[in-house]
Amino acid sequence: MREFRYERPATVAEAIRAVSHDPEADFLAGGTTEVDLMKDGVFHPDLLVDITRLPLRGVRRNGTMLQVGALTTMEELAADRTLVERAPFVVEALLRGASAQLRNMATIGGNLLQRTRCRYFRDPAVPACNKREPGSGCEAVNSVARMHAILGASPACIALHASDLAVPLVALDAVVHIQSEEGERLVPLTQFYLMPGETPDRENVLRHGELITAIDIPLPPPGTRSIYLKIRDRASYEFALTSAAVAVIMDGGVIKEARVAMGGIGTIPWRCFEAEEVLREAPATPDTFRSAADGTIRDPFVVPGTAFKVELAKRTLIRALTEVTS
Amino acid sequence: MTTIQQPRILGAGVNRVDGPLKVTGQARYPNDFNLPGMAYAAVVRSTIPSGRIRRMDTTAAEKSPGVLEVITHENADHLGEAPPSFVKNPQPPLQDDVIRFYGQYIAVVVADTQQNATAAARRIEVEYDRHEALLDPHDPRAERIKDPWGEDTAWGDVRTALNRAPVMIDQTYTTSENTNNPLGLFTTVASWDGDTLTLHDSNQWPNMIQQVVAAMFGVPRDAVRVLTPFVGGGFGAGLRCWSHIPLAVMAARHVGRPVKLELTRPEMFTGLGHRTASINWIRLGATRDGRLTAIEHESLTTLPLDGDEYEPCSSVSTWSYASPNVTTRDQQVRLNIPWTNFMRAPGDAQGNFALESAIDELAWEVGLDPLEIRLLNYAEVDPKTGRPWSSNALRQCLEVGARRFGWSERNPEIRSMRDGHELVGYGVAGVSFFWYQQPCSARVIVKGDGSAYVRSAVTDIGTGTYTIMAQLAAGLLGLEVDQVEMQLGDSSMPVGTAAGGSGLTAALGSAVHDACGRLIQKFVDLAGTDPFSPLANVPFEDIEVSEGRLFRKGEPTRGESLARILAVHGLTELSADGNSTPNSPEQLGMTPAGARGARFVEVRVDEDLGRIRVARIVTVNDGGRILNEKLARSQILGGTVGGVGMALFEETVTDKDTGRIANATFGDYLIPVNADIPDVHIEFVGEPDAFNPIGVKGVGEIGLVGVAPAIANGIFHATGKRIRALPITMDMLMD
Ligand SMILES: Cc1cc2nc3c(=O)[nH]c(=O)nc-3n(C[C@H](O)[C@H](O)[C@H](O)COP(=O)(O)OP(=O)(O)OC[C@H]3O[C@@H](n4cnc5c(N)ncnc54)[C@H](O)[C@@H]3O)c2cc1C
Ligand code: SF4
Repeated sequence: MREFRYERPATVAEAIRAVSHDPEADFLAGGTTEVDLMKDGVFHPDLLVDITRLPLRGVRRNGTMLQVGALTTMEELAADRTLVERAPFVVEALLRGASAQLRNMATIGGNLLQRTRCRYFRDPAVPACNKREPGSGCEAVNSVARMHAILGASPACIALHASDLAVPLVALDAVVHIQSEEGERLVPLTQFYLMPGETPDRENVLRHGELITAIDIPLPPPGTRSIYLKIRDRASYEFALTSAAVAVIMDGGVIKEARVAMGGIGTIPWRCFEAEEVLREAPATPDTFRSAADGTIRDPFVVPGTAFKVELAKRTLIRALTEVTS
Repeated sequence: MTTIQQPRILGAGVNRVDGPLKVTGQARYPNDFNLPGMAYAAVVRSTIPSGRIRRMDTTAAEKSPGVLEVITHENADHLGEAPPSFVKNPQPPLQDDVIRFYGQYIAVVVADTQQNATAAARRIEVEYDRHEALLDPHDPRAERIKDPWGEDTAWGDVRTALNRAPVMIDQTYTTSENTNNPLGLFTTVASWDGDTLTLHDSNQWPNMIQQVVAAMFGVPRDAVRVLTPFVGGGFGAGLRCWSHIPLAVMAARHVGRPVKLELTRPEMFTGLGHRTASINWIRLGATRDGRLTAIEHESLTTLPLDGDEYEPCSSVSTWSYASPNVTTRDQQVRLNIPWTNFMRAPGDAQGNFALESAIDELAWEVGLDPLEIRLLNYAEVDPKTGRPWSSNALRQCLEVGARRFGWSERNPEIRSMRDGHELVGYGVAGVSFFWYQQPCSARVIVKGDGSAYVRSAVTDIGTGTYTIMAQLAAGLLGLEVDQVEMQLGDSSMPVGTAAGGSGLTAALGSAVHDACGRLIQKFVDLAGTDPFSPLANVPFEDIEVSEGRLFRKGEPTRGESLARILAVHGLTELSADGNSTPNSPEQLGMTPAGARGARFVEVRVDEDLGRIRVARIVTVNDGGRILNEKLARSQILGGTVGGVGMALFEETVTDKDTGRIANATFGDYLIPVNADIPDVHIEFVGEPDAFNPIGVKGVGEIGLVGVAPAIANGIFHATGKRIRALPITMDMLMD
């Protein structure tokens, strides 16, 4: 690790100013992504601005909304009573992520901004990685890729967005509060992430120096059932091969309303609008579920290592729908 | 006095004698040592698999903060050849510009802090002339070595037997590369004092490191002292003198200060070797009722460009089951890959997966219960020589295991048992493990207060050697366990062998046994010179020991304490050296049998998703005399976890074009977590083995073997899918 400066400002404004005026500066929250990548030699900020003491921690109920401070830890959010009651799939996504130790350090803001686990991105000795070195190519496309994306991917980059939390949050239309020197802006999470296209180095709409201060999670109506199903090789402590976040409102055997998103398959957390369309006002039957799944996995971009995910993703969604509607 | 007494002490599940030191942080592992003035080293590794270094630019690194020295092949010391130790050791690093694999050390940077060393190491720029690399075991240009160890075996006439066999199985089974991954990052702290060198080093064989380092640096063996009283695991990784060790020694010589070199986890993947991938071809011939008439087993494993490896996968087929016709052949292929090396149950783990899968296939083919076919083909005697076994409780392992598991309750049809979305299957595998023992020595000393200590250069890699040897010495000298102090892991002590091959307990135990016998003899002789001693004129054969006293058999009052004998003769201590060498099968007229075992598993496979879960494991083992049941269970349990890893998770993946290991972190290389491991029922059967005086067989490795085929066999029972490649992952089981 190279030498770097470290600052711990007392106010949000100071923190934003410090990063905004130094193009080589990064925010530091729990550090479970940032410090890892510094040690690996992928990130080399010359200034780390520690935001962990800023007053951005805690969960507030605001009508039908939960406002979550960006510095709330994953464990803290997972313990929130309202969330447990009203949107248990968010809690499941949190608790199936990482490990207890990590979840006690990792923040909600940091979780949404975590970087891909692509090993070619994380090893600077690999020359070709468009995300790390724009224009250098993509090593993963021709190599070993099991933990990679099949949707939103292209020969330029197949890196997965690996956050579990983001999956139910895109399903719920969460909104990100972004603060800069110019003021605050609100961006729906569904529009926050960018498809890699030709610029996989740009992952989201944040500009340098912008700080996430909070996330609004709209609470689904009482009576909503939800599930987060995470499929992986190991029983715990592993990212998803595929995952499905589903929330439904049922009326007898009919699905009145559905929110669906998938993880483990997309270059961004994947909101499944087509599936929701199929499910709305449809009977909860295997046929419905299969067409919802087929509607979701359209035009996948696969490499040999990820080919199995096409069918696995569909079955994951079908299983999640089966369980949540029964 | 050569019989083992004291069942209260021997076999008892006493706690680890080094446990309190470990849990209170007082046990010092190699990376815990920080010496005054110590500098830190960071390695630089090649990023191509084959070629030459055209140019290295070290200027930026040299100017980097805190840097003391940058060593490359251009300014490295010329080192002497590394002598082999059972197998080859890597030749000294940085001696030329040739790149033989991705990850080879090409420079070492020494600085005042670890961070500065690491940062500077990243600033070294390298240009290569890249040559085409051999990375595919099927590449026709790659050198093939047939019968590498002269152990290819044949008896009977396999060709004819296979041609005539009414039933035949002919299949290929593959296993992937695995990495040992001991938790403790291998570390060398090297410090020169004039021409003498001290190393705090992670390894499994201090005397071997001592010998190799002395030869490389051209100093007498006694000038090198290797200290390894504690090491954070090994699983075979510490059985060679890896190149980071001479790098640390060289670096310390260059900067004239002690140097610490601690590998990172990714460096552990390329720097310490790994279990070779294997391809096994098996042909079984059998009668309609399932009796084996022929076994043909061939294997292909991999080798680095300039190393060797002993990995006889096919050997298991020569001693596992009775067959009148057997042929086994092994081959190796040289590639531009990091060193292959021993990993817990080398050769056996892979070969057993192949053989036990094939036997299972045969059982289904002839319509026999997979348990029955193993009992039917049990080898009453060594099938190769016809000699009796030194002991072999494989049959008992299978029978006891089947009862504990409830094997008879299974529905024998495939896909017949289910629970919700899950298909349920039962799998079994037998295990016949190799036997291995090397010469070893130890010294036992009784002090004036009657307590004792035991010394040997061997190291305890966490298996419990400290404890069981204290128990053994206590048992033999008639002391309590806490009256025996163990001193291990120091090359200056009596020469010891490797903590490997499940052979240390027999080797060191026999040496301790020998030393204790000699020591008692010395005490008896001493007492004999004292006409007033109650032991005067008592023949040695009639002596017994208990509670720190020697006495005449059957006459407990006619005796004297060890402390008193010393006092009477004005001695502060009395010591004896003991040696052990393996017995000869010819002389004893028996074949030494390694440990034996049986595995029973219940697996559950999600029918749609292919997700695999191991729900239950019963593992029964014959380890001869068990010196400490609690520690033996630990070994079996750890081995079982490793076996689940081998079966379902572990795979060292190499990029096909660059030879780079693609998953060299704990985030990417999956080992089982707690949630993957069900309750494991562990049991021991069998009798003390006749091949060594203490009757042990060694249980460090066998726990791992057989778990993978039992799981694969269970998956077949559950799903009807025969998976012949490890690890087995859900994509293989999705319909
Ligand atoms: C071994 C391991 C396993 C893991 N497993 C999982 C898993 O199964 N599922 C899962 O979802 N995640 C997993 N993670 C990822 C983990 O959840 C994230 O690393 C963590 O949530 C990041 O939060 P942090 O507070 O540590 O962020 P940091 O590392 O501090 O920051 C991450 C990035 O975001 C920036 N940043 C942080 N906060 C803000 C803010 N408020 N505004 C603007 N920029 C900000 C930082 O500059 C940095 O670039 C795993 C991580 C590890 C190391
Ligand atoms: S997939 Fe994306 S992150 Fe991975 S190597 Fe390719 S460009 Fe880089």
